[in-house]
Amino acid sequence: MIELSTTKRVILGNEAIAFGALSAGVSIAAGYPGTPSTEIIETLMKYGKIYTEWSANEKVAFETAYGAAINGAFALTTMKHVGLNVAADPLMSSSYTGVEGALVIVSADDPSMWSSQNEQDNRYYGLHALIPVIEPHDPQSAHDLTIEAFKLSNKVKHPVILRSTTRIGHIRGPVELKPPSRPVLGKLIKDPKRYVLVPENARRNRVEQLKRWEKIEEEVEGLNELIDNDSENLIIASGISFGYVTDAMKELDIKANVLRLSTPVPIPKRLILKAVSNSKRVLIVEEGEPIVEYQIKDLLYDQGVRVELHGKDLVSRVGEMTLDKVYYAFSKFFGLDLVTEYLEVPQDVPPRPPALCPGCPHRSSFIDLKKAITMASFKPNETFISGDIGCYTLGLLPPFDAQDSSTDMGSSIGIANGVYRATGNIPIAVIGDSTFFHSGISALANAVYNQTPMLVLVLDNRSTAMTGQQPSPSKGIDIGEVAKGLGVKYVKYVDPFDVNSSIKELSNALKWVRENRQPAVVIAKRACALLVMDNVEENNLPKAIVDLEKCTGCSICYDYFTCPAIIPRKDKKAEIDNYTCIGCGACIPVCPFKAISLKGNKPEKWDELWLG
Amino acid sequence: MARVNILIAGVGGQGIITAGKMIAEAGNYSNTKVLIAETHGLAQRGGGVNIHVRIGDVNSPLIPLGKADYLVGLEATEVLRNLNYASRKHTTIIINNYVVRPVLPKVRLLSLQEVLDKLKGCKVYVIDANQIAINAGNIKAANAAILGFLYSLGAFEGLISEESFIKALKYESNIKAFKIAQVIKINGIDINGI
Repeated sequence: MIELSTTKRVILGNEAIAFGALSAGVSIAAGYPGTPSTEIIETLMKYGKIYTEWSANEKVAFETAYGAAINGAFALTTMKHVGLNVAADPLMSSSYTGVEGALVIVSADDPSMWSSQNEQDNRYYGLHALIPVIEPHDPQSAHDLTIEAFKLSNKVKHPVILRSTTRIGHIRGPVELKPPSRPVLGKLIKDPKRYVLVPENARRNRVEQLKRWEKIEEEVEGLNELIDNDSENLIIASGISFGYVTDAMKELDIKANVLRLSTPVPIPKRLILKAVSNSKRVLIVEEGEPIVEYQIKDLLYDQGVRVELHGKDLVSRVGEMTLDKVYYAFSKFFGLDLVTEYLEVPQDVPPRPPALCPGCPHRSSFIDLKKAITMASFKPNETFISGDIGCYTLGLLPPFDAQDSSTDMGSSIGIANGVYRATGNIPIAVIGDSTFFHSGISALANAVYNQTPMLVLVLDNRSTAMTGQQPSPSKGIDIGEVAKGLGVKYVKYVDPFDVNSSIKELSNALKWVRENRQPAVVIAKRACALLVMDNVEENNLPKAIVDLEKCTGCSICYDYFTCPAIIPRKDKKAEIDNYTCIGCGACIPVCPFKAISLKGNKPEKWDELWLG
Repeated sequence: MARVNILIAGVGGQGIITAGKMIAEAGNYSNTKVLIAETHGLAQRGGGVNIHVRIGDVNSPLIPLGKADYLVGLEATEVLRNLNYASRKHTTIIINNYVVRPVLPKVRLLSLQEVLDKLKGCKVYVIDANQIAINAGNIKAANAAILGFLYSLGAFEGLISEESFIKALKYESNIKAFKIAQVIKINGIDINGI
């Protein structure tokens, strides 16, 4: 248990952000889970005595926080970088209206794409929307700058983006916490001339926005620091790059002035001009895109300052910042001869991609689906399976090979619309329950009113599982009823563990789509195994056992079902790893020789937990 | 002030992130700065996981290539996947005598011997951390056993004390595994220094 005292605690960067927000007086926090942002809201839920919610998507989360902030509250909204794309619409307008209390938007970027589909640099949103971007360099600064972000937002009455990255949010280090403040709630403010963006008002807001921007340019100066080491060389290090630059300078014994940049947007113009004027050569070290570099070049041109300046010509634009990247840039900039000795990773190390968990119901769903495709006389190589974002994206891996695309939340149904129009082939859109509510509904509405034939298979595991079993609207709203309400004529539910009837239902649905030329929805409903495990006594579970007399070593269970708890023995027969098996029983119908059975009794409420 | 880089690799579910937490907390008790970089998200579902542990006078979370002082594999083949953080001269490699099959069809598994063959010329210790953990009363304490072994190698010397570790390990089985792993080193049993 973390106590909110001022002693040093070892915490995650995301926890540091949450505690910073509490210290700043946050009263409303809304987010959508997404790595590497999730623990911020989780920490606020655990330790904060304030209103927090997991929203249906990032746009709603943003609007919830924004709605609070325009009425005077201190509000926080969190999302991963690609989530801000979903919220980009209100983001742009929030910059026009400004806010009354404070609005801090956390964008958790993921350079190197540890668990993301791209590595977009969201500091661009700051330039695009005219919203200042504050960028911490370690867990302590994540905590302190969160407080500064709220202060700045409230002072200039404008939203502020706090941009973290994987190596800020997901590093653990010592943080001195500041005590929590009383949450700042709002009081109803009715100001339609400001908040109703009809053209007349928006035009006036545009002028006000630019005035605020001038004020912001002044305010950010003090958030940055010039460390003067009496050198002709200047290194400008943005966000996390500051830590790498500091270590590399020590390691290589380099002397240079360093400008620690915590506000990459807008840059502190006066401070930068002062630092550059005293230098002969400048190196800009920033992760990702040359956002600081562009602004500095622009500034220096306008001021008529000519100086030798390096940035992305020496610092890679690909992937996250590393010491190796800084070493390389330093070796070129300072003319050092650096040789690093390291061992090569052998070529023949077997790949170890993440896998669907033992007991994941949707391993069975994929197997049921593939059988149904054949049973309905669809040709597997002519059936586009349009995937989506979630655990089930892992269905792309062998043996399932059941994802032909997966690009963004809700993309399965949206892309399926286009696949049919271009090819005439009936696609299958596979989407999760949380994703369905996130942005699948509007794409399904599109399919209904444009009469697009497709099978929509909702893998409903009762949660947002990938990010840690956060609740999903599926707990309160029946997806089948939603589909019917949208006008879908064919809606069925299946239990993926009931293999025969699942295959039959899915096959019937495919045939129905072919005959009726419109969308059908099948909901495969069974809870996330980890969610079930959270609610049972772990050492009281049934376990699968293999009858070695009956097992022929056919390998179907471990090579085609691929539950991590089923392990091949030297003689190719199967055995169960008792440590990982959770006794779900999904492997039983998979064995053609009936060699697998369950031993032990079901824990209390077992079926209810899986199917409720 | 000294600086130590430890890279711990393994398979999601082995308690690697917990091992990082324990080191970080122990460091805090000893008033020594520790930065742990964790990879979450997809990796927790049976995939390869690693953490970068940097102790002492450090400001950035990731270990540069070839600069790990210790490379630890809670699963043997994961050592190979992270080998570019090691150098022959500089790095001590510690391998748990345990190989996990990737959850992919028809993958050929490397044996422990094959893993060791690829590490010729390196300083390698093989340790049966799972057995130590079982002896200590909980298979989940394998990560604590590894920490005990690292401790006995002097990885934390002058940075983190034994008392701090014992405070951070919290559970009896963890502390027991930590201590057994140290004794094993002292007596030279169960260890193959190659």
